[in-house]
Amino acid sequence: MEKTLARGLELASTERISFFIKSAIFLSVCGATLFVALAASYPAVHDTLHNVRHALAVVPCH
Amino acid sequence: MSLKATLYISVLLAGFVFVPAVGSQDLNVYFKTTPRIELLRPFADPADLALLITDADGRPVDNATVNVRLDAPAPGRFFSTDMPIVEGTRLNEMTLKLRQGRVSWKYLFPIRGEYKLLVDVHTADGRKAARSFVVRIRENESKWFALGAFSVALFVLGFGAGRIFTKIRIHAALIVLTCLLAAPAQGATAPVPEARLVGKLEVEPATVGKLSRIAWRLENAGQPDPRTVLLTLTVNHLENGKIVFAVEKLPIAGEFVTQFQFPDGAEYRVTAATNVAGLGPMRNEQVISVTGIEPPARAAAPALCYFIGLIAAGLGVGRWSKIRGATVEPR
Repeated sequence: MEKTLARGLELASTERISFFIKSAIFLSVCGATLFVALAASYPAVHDTLHNVRHALAVVPCH
Repeated sequence: MSLKATLYISVLLAGFVFVPAVGSQDLNVYFKTTPRIELLRPFADPADLALLITDADGRPVDNATVNVRLDAPAPGRFFSTDMPIVEGTRLNEMTLKLRQGRVSWKYLFPIRGEYKLLVDVHTADGRKAARSFVVRIRENESKWFALGAFSVALFVLGFGAGRIFTKIRIHAALIVLTCLLAAPAQGATAPVPEARLVGKLEVEPATVGKLSRIAWRLENAGQPDPRTVLLTLTVNHLENGKIVFAVEKLPIAGEFVTQFQFPDGAEYRVTAATNVAGLGPMRNEQVISVTGIEPPARAAAPALCYFIGLIAAGLGVGRWSKIRGATVEPR
């Protein structure tokens, strides 16, 4: 019984940590992508997404 | 007051917002936009702005000038608009001469928010009045819809990832993110019917966030000519073909000067047209490239935080729904 419980707790703990690690990586990738798409000033990106930036109302553009 | 005069004044006042003058008891200042303020949207269509100045008895004041200043809305508390450089700056400043007590011009409001229109009236007999008006421009509904759809998409993305990441048996999850990324002023002066009399258009190099001087004057053999002409001056946004500022058939004494802020870094065409009595039409045109200013990072930060927060919320809800589903399943 204890072994089962310990195994279960260990698994849950591992899974939770795994979830947070993957989520952190995922959010970092998403954040970087959003930054490039909506805030970067590289001309090629800016010119392509100029209208999208303006269309979102809260994303600054120039 | 005769019936005819009363009727005339009633027609003039039709559609104007009544605002009692401040600082002067004998001048009334009325302001009107066409279409109505509630229907105006930023960077959609230019609005006709009109001022009517009357005496205390309602008769239009004719021999007077108005100094008009337009200030952009102050920055928002959290989110910026799509043109943050424009926020809280002066957009336009000019002095116009009244015709039958009124003056009108076209203007394309660039962003949402509360604009302040400051009006100073100076009559030929020394009377003065000062008024300020607030023009609240609502954001275009389609932009809010686009923002809402984008927000939902980000939340769903996070939700899906949250469910995938919550598997007890961890498989390697491959998340593929696809990102759909998909000149100096040129001037030309039109030929004029008389070689000695020419119109001269000058536009200062323009930068977003700063006022630029736009001046047109009539010159005779290189000297300013003070004759009164009716000037039509138009500023067009070349990328979307919209009029961002215009005055039509404005009476000027040989010269017109306005301080104008170009709201975004794009190309604009400034056109001045007039018809000098006996000499025919006269036209000047300049295409100018406005220098855009990169918005500060702090302007983009709230929007990016909001978007990432949506994904994070989606991750949490996705995990919660997966755990809850797994808990309920054995039953």
